Amino acid sequence: MKSDETIQETFSLSPKKKKYPKLNVLSVMSPAGCSHVNGYKVDNWKQNLRVIYQCFVWSGTAETRRRKAKSCICHMCGAHLNRLHSCLYCVFFGCFTKKHIHEHAKNKRHNLAIDLLYGGIYCFVCQDYVYDKDMEQIAKEEQRKAWKLQAFETRPSRLYSLESTGIGEKYTTWEPTKRELELLRHNPKRRKITTNCTIGLRGLINLGNTCFMNCIVQALTHTPLLRDFFLSDRHKCEMQSNSCLVCEMSQLFQEFYSGHRSPHIPFRLLHLVWTHARHLAGYEQQDAHEFLIAALDVLHRHCKGDTIHDNGKKANNPNHCNCIIDQIFTGGLQSDVTCQVCHGVSTTIDPFWDISLDLPGSSTPFWPLSPGGDGSTVNGESHLSGSTTLTDCLRRFTRPEHLGSSAKIKCGGCHSYQESTKQLTMKKLPIVACFHLKRFEHSAKLRRKITTYVSFPLELDMTPFMASSKESRMNGQYQQTVDVLNNDNKYSLFAVVNHQGTLESGHYTSFIRQHKDQWFKCDDAIITKASIKDVLDSEGYLLFYHKQFLEYE
Amino acid sequence: MSKDSQMRAAINQKLIETGERERLKELLRAKLVECGWKDQLKAHCKDVIKEKGLEHVTVEDLVTEVTPKGRALVPDSVKKELLHRIRAFLAQHATL
Repeated sequence: MKSDETIQETFSLSPKKKKYPKLNVLSVMSPAGCSHVNGYKVDNWKQNLRVIYQCFVWSGTAETRRRKAKSCICHMCGAHLNRLHSCLYCVFFGCFTKKHIHEHAKNKRHNLAIDLLYGGIYCFVCQDYVYDKDMEQIAKEEQRKAWKLQAFETRPSRLYSLESTGIGEKYTTWEPTKRELELLRHNPKRRKITTNCTIGLRGLINLGNTCFMNCIVQALTHTPLLRDFFLSDRHKCEMQSNSCLVCEMSQLFQEFYSGHRSPHIPFRLLHLVWTHARHLAGYEQQDAHEFLIAALDVLHRHCKGDTIHDNGKKANNPNHCNCIIDQIFTGGLQSDVTCQVCHGVSTTIDPFWDISLDLPGSSTPFWPLSPGGDGSTVNGESHLSGSTTLTDCLRRFTRPEHLGSSAKIKCGGCHSYQESTKQLTMKKLPIVACFHLKRFEHSAKLRRKITTYVSFPLELDMTPFMASSKESRMNGQYQQTVDVLNNDNKYSLFAVVNHQGTLESGHYTSFIRQHKDQWFKCDDAIITKASIKDVLDSEGYLLFYHKQFLEYE
Repeated sequence: MSKDSQMRAAINQKLIETGERERLKELLRAKLVECGWKDQLKAHCKDVIKEKGLEHVTVEDLVTEVTPKGRALVPDSVKKELLHRIRAFLAQHATL
């Protein structure tokens, strides 16, 4: 290719007469581009520019990528690095760092070039990058096009069968719309969030034994993803009546983040809860855990308007809902039943919102674990002379269990009833994992509260309890090699709900985490600063953990 | 071109052809945002602009001032992860 060819001739578009821009004096930079750019905007410039973007900047198809790989080297030194730029007037690529493109611009009087890495337009007369609205528009469109192509393209290779290049949708920074600009102008009050700012903290008045509800509200309003969802107005209500719990939650977030320091009176929330979860109505003390599950259930049902449309299909399957509640709280629990005779495994996966853990001292036998022995230092929990840890409880939860001769399962392989073992493991972890320590025993024999101290960590790694880690567990090894690069199963504690008192009369309080390392105790209307030690020394009834790293789907 | 730069050019071509370069760029971008690098550099850019004056600063000024700091601030874990990915890619395309 001769470097004097025009872009059109190279790519077989209709040939036009060559045009050169008039030399202008240095102009003042403005967001509307420079005057030299206007010299370029003649004839079929838009199409030319698009071709350049498609072929050399953001190559969306395999063909354009191949061409880019071959041709994008400096015409003077052959390097592919050094911030390569392409001349806008002819087919010439040159290094920016080594000033090869500058030489070309001077010699040929071609004053505009495009940065092949980021698509910016450089004007050699103005000696800076210029921002022309029309050109930026074209750049944006071409980038989006190329991304879309790459996301859906499949790539055949020797080692894998057809596999998508899957980068997903391109991230673009937020730019306010006209309406948003208007709103910002009419609401000039700004609030700066500093490290000791108490925004988001608010007490809740007890309306008569409603502390069970208050502590859950505190936990939910401090769930980062949930907070972000509601504060960005993502709920689109489709309910005709005024009884949408999601709308009420939205209001609650507004109240919590309003900056008001007086306690909030959640009478509307209480009323809606009584309406939608009859079993929780009444003035007696209820169970906070039951309230949590009921609240999540109602929120999930009322979220119908927000389900994400996947390729135009609406997710109306209750088991595969994509509402915010499911996205945050739903995990998958795998249950493997192994026949003791033929060793055939029958697997089911059930969704869960919480994990209920048995405690030592209950009527169901707790697996005796030697404190300080085999891998009990996983998650860095303290083992104060024989105390149980959360990890112990999780290990017990995920251990293989003999179902006994009185509970034979019909085996598909043996075609008869056989003894079997059952094991639970985590198939899919939710973004927020809620652990429920079963402190309230309601068996036929007795009703009591188990006050055994269970220590729980600030940071939790769920890897040992995953279905994928099951093989090593069967060999009795609990020490998992920590994969530095795999952060998928790491969690951080962000809320703790505690119960003081007895089964008959008790009081719920909660600890919640603010600004990464600050903790506060929420006792109905009273909010006080707490230390990490206060939190970790507390009895613990409901423990809320949040994934440390979020991956894109 | 030396053998070293020939090899680099060949690897670069393969990376572009397969689309892996774009994927790696996106992975790097995400990691650098995650670890706060982007915010650090952004703050530094703002300082440079304040120093030079908004009317007079050019992109070139920013690139010159910010590049060395940017390179130094990339965390080792990010470098490690990218290297890991590139090695895996090279192993897969062993015919290079």
